[in-house]
Amino acid sequence: MTRISFPSALITALRMMLGAFFIMSGYEKLLDLKFFGLIIAEYQILPSFLIPAIALFFTLCELLCGIMLLIDLFSRFSSSVMLCMMVVFIGAMINNVMRGLDHDCGCIKFLSQWYGLKEEIGIVPIARDILFFILLLPIALLGSNRIPWVKDQK
Amino acid sequence: MSLNIMSGKPLRRKLFAAVIILLSGISPSLSQLHAAASVALAKEESGELDLFATKALFDSHSACFVDARSEYVYYKSHIKGAISLSDSRFDEQFPDFSQKKAIETLIVVYCTESSCGMARHVAKKLMKNGYRNVRVFSGGIIEWAHAGFPIEG
Repeated sequence: MTRISFPSALITALRMMLGAFFIMSGYEKLLDLKFFGLIIAEYQILPSFLIPAIALFFTLCELLCGIMLLIDLFSRFSSSVMLCMMVVFIGAMINNVMRGLDHDCGCIKFLSQWYGLKEEIGIVPIARDILFFILLLPIALLGSNRIPWVKDQK
Repeated sequence: MSLNIMSGKPLRRKLFAAVIILLSGISPSLSQLHAAASVALAKEESGELDLFATKALFDSHSACFVDARSEYVYYKSHIKGAISLSDSRFDEQFPDFSQKKAIETLIVVYCTESSCGMARHVAKKLMKNGYRNVRVFSGGIIEWAHAGFPIEG
């Protein structure tokens, strides 16, 4: 069986790009956690008492994984966490689209502010999260799982 | 002479009405007026309020304003003093609302604009739950904000 070789420079580029992206996305959510919580409530999947904790959890996960990806600290682990989160987001959006609910996805506000990308749940944010999933896969499968300031012992 | 005038009055009125109907059919501006009057009449009959009637209620502090849009939209901006009771999460929010507001309270429900149906849905749900004095401000927050009336959020 042939192993797919992936240039390490490409992994690094993906890691840096996604890391910066998740940091920005997590940071803007952290600035207004209540707003993010209200959007999660609109999905009508979780009980109300869990929503503030889940909003904080998702935000911190995004922020910390973003930092870890950027500095290459346990990149495989952090990208795997983000992969799981993407699966949750995609599943939640598909669930809401099928139920005919119409609201903001609560994904990445700065993208809609800067580039006018749609934030309402639908095909665009679902496709965007699928793209993130695809971009995270090489890091999760082939990235390093090391601590950058500890030198490898050979 | 006076007898002639008296007998001529109903005829004159009929003629006048016929001219108005004719004109409203012909002139586009008059037909628009006619349409606007019909819409206003329909709104009044269905219990919907226009901008100025809503503002009068707002100034008199005699009504409770209810925002039927999603809670996260309400959080960003709403009519000053309004309470969130969203169409999408009505069942979760209503118990809290019913504890705060008595059943006799005059309630004005609004959403984004006249084409959004959320305010009417919430008004129906409120009436189903026993609230009798429920009115809809059909212009919504867009008309309110456009008029420069108070908003917070």
